[in-house]
Amino acid sequence: MAYGNNMAKEMTLVSVGIDIGTTTTQLVISRLTLVNVMPGSQVPKVEISHKSIAYLGKVHFTPFEDRQHVDGAALRKIIAKEYEKAGVRPEQIDTGAIIITGETAKKENASEIIHSLADYAGDFVVATAGPDLESVIAGKGSGAEALSKRLHGCIANIDIGGGTTNIAYFDRGKCIGTACINVGGRLFEVDPISHNLTFISPPAQMILSHFYPNSDQTQNEEELVIIKQCLRSMVECVERVIFQEPLLVQDSCLVMTNLLPNVKIDGVVFSGGVARYIYLPGINEWWIHGDVGPLLAEAFRESRINSLPVHEGTETIHATVLGAGAHTVNVSGSTITVSEHTLPLRNVPAVYPELSASGGFTWLKSTENYTEALYRTVALIVPPLPNTDFTTILSLAENLAGELPSIKGEPKVVIAQQDIAKVLGQTLQRLLPNIPIVCLDGIELAFGDFLDIAKPLPHQDAVPVIVKTLVFAR
Amino acid sequence: MSLEDSVRLIVEELLKGMDQQKSQNSSNNLPLANSVNNNECEIKDLAEIDLQRYLQVPNPVNKDLYEEMKLSTPARIGVWRSGPRPLTDTLLRFRADHAVAQDSVLGVVPEEFPAKYNMVSIQTLCSSKDEYLTRPDLGRKLDDENLGILAKGCPKGAMVQIIVSDGLSSKAVEANIPNLLPALTQGLEGMGVKLGTPIFVRNGRVAIMDTIGEELKPEVAVILIGERPGLGTAESMSAYIGYNPRLGMVESERTVISNIHKGGTPAAEAGAHLASLIKRILDAKASGVNLE
Repeated sequence: MAYGNNMAKEMTLVSVGIDIGTTTTQLVISRLTLVNVMPGSQVPKVEISHKSIAYLGKVHFTPFEDRQHVDGAALRKIIAKEYEKAGVRPEQIDTGAIIITGETAKKENASEIIHSLADYAGDFVVATAGPDLESVIAGKGSGAEALSKRLHGCIANIDIGGGTTNIAYFDRGKCIGTACINVGGRLFEVDPISHNLTFISPPAQMILSHFYPNSDQTQNEEELVIIKQCLRSMVECVERVIFQEPLLVQDSCLVMTNLLPNVKIDGVVFSGGVARYIYLPGINEWWIHGDVGPLLAEAFRESRINSLPVHEGTETIHATVLGAGAHTVNVSGSTITVSEHTLPLRNVPAVYPELSASGGFTWLKSTENYTEALYRTVALIVPPLPNTDFTTILSLAENLAGELPSIKGEPKVVIAQQDIAKVLGQTLQRLLPNIPIVCLDGIELAFGDFLDIAKPLPHQDAVPVIVKTLVFAR
Repeated sequence: MSLEDSVRLIVEELLKGMDQQKSQNSSNNLPLANSVNNNECEIKDLAEIDLQRYLQVPNPVNKDLYEEMKLSTPARIGVWRSGPRPLTDTLLRFRADHAVAQDSVLGVVPEEFPAKYNMVSIQTLCSSKDEYLTRPDLGRKLDDENLGILAKGCPKGAMVQIIVSDGLSSKAVEANIPNLLPALTQGLEGMGVKLGTPIFVRNGRVAIMDTIGEELKPEVAVILIGERPGLGTAESMSAYIGYNPRLGMVESERTVISNIHKGGTPAAEAGAHLASLIKRILDAKASGVNLE
């Protein structure tokens, strides 16, 4: 007898990751292999089975027009050149993400630049930003997520870049919290020859003025001492966040987000440009990069964080770019309903229902916040049902069918938390025969997430999905 | 000593232990959390315990990890021991699950079940479960009387003929059909597929599809049949689909979807998936390896 689906075939997706950081910009091209992991006689389930790096781009300095503006034209040139070197054309890229990180995400034209770049970089390359997502992506790219799974413990990934330190906790493979602190290697810039301070970023300035309220005080002391004092104070702030201690006055200007739970950490992985000097100490030339990266690394080495078991990740400097390129794509369940010509979709906000007076779910109120023209449609989340019986699904579908026509946007997107997307979708199609529907499952979503949904995979019903948080610091 | 005898001994010992506990309880009047009810000898049904959440190892070094491992598989891992043998409740539970599996093979789908889902009910040449188990060939054939019921109750030449059979698990039929059948019917009708009158076959094998196909000449037949139960679940069902079902068709012409149950693919979702798969088979005019 033969098996239900022609599923033995492997599929490959070409994925690009572009990390536009405070200091550097890098591009990486990966190949994701997708395969049906179920035996042929069962309903298929597609998973990403293998990730490999096809091309690791050169590290470029992020181009700026001035302190407040990213140079979009120069960035595009960098990316075009890297594509050429990698031997790919934008139309060959199946998926991927551009992530704008650290201080760069705060620049005035960040959002505009990154979205135009995403369009240029390939049909289904998404623009992402937001310190929480950055923390998660770095932790996936550094291998901290995989390590926590392997050790069955809680691993903190601390990604120290030019502008920010991004922390993510992974408990047995699951991210349980993130934090973003304005501590980075490029908050002070120093002339490599004259050793004079050439730039002090606003967060560094605040720390500086906390310790030296009068500007003439700084004149008397040696710059190295002043900088070291500031960096120590910054690392102590990271310590307080990690060890769940009360924050001090000067910390408030550094801690951007802190959603770390109070749990025991079994180990630490450092990643990012500064982390390189944590793992490889003994540098003599502090000003080699014209910034305070090596000094900051030294401060981390001397901190209490270093007393936790420190593991080396699979990737240090390139953690974020690898994470963006290889770890942002999910695959939906393989029994889903997708009306023809409805995909791809971009920037679909995920909307949770409220409990209605009758005890069922209602999405009407929660979708009111997304009526702007910016969103083509919204994704209605169906919370877990008590069971997956047909009658339960039928009454859910009737409920949805009553509300969907008055919710703006097409196609109507419904995301279930249980394996019911096909039957729910077919029921909705019967109840609303003329409305295009996309009904998916197998994707974990949180409040405030946005989705990009690609076209279905060849020979499969499954679709690649990127879940992201589109929050730009203003 | 046979297994039966050893189990009897263990149970007797267990009951003796309970009696002792009972007298202890009455002497100090403190109810013990895990002891039997004082008034009646009430024993909780062992089969009701969720094995994947039942931690039998006392004082595990890493409880979280132990729990995670247990939850990752329905296999009986981390069951602890008493000397060189399993704990009594492990052994009893094993036998209880085996009994559930046997009950499911030997059980009978209720008389009123087919009518409830508007199915025409027929029976193969097997007149008893014993005969069904020992004579697979008879489970694929129908006598003239049953062929007559088919001819009378079911229109010929449907696009899709749905067949339901108890096969090796009556429980699979009772557990899955109420959710699978409406989803499958809705899915197929939604795609414009005309269905024949569904048939319920008592004591049927997969290839009863061929006999029915020969008689009713549907374009596609799908048989939803109970799988041989294991110790994990007794409610698993398979769907075999054949294009142009007829006597003499070979096994490689059938497409199969297995593992339909609560812990596998839920019945309603499986019904919806089957609907799309059958539509593909209708469009390709082929099933089994010919579909690939």
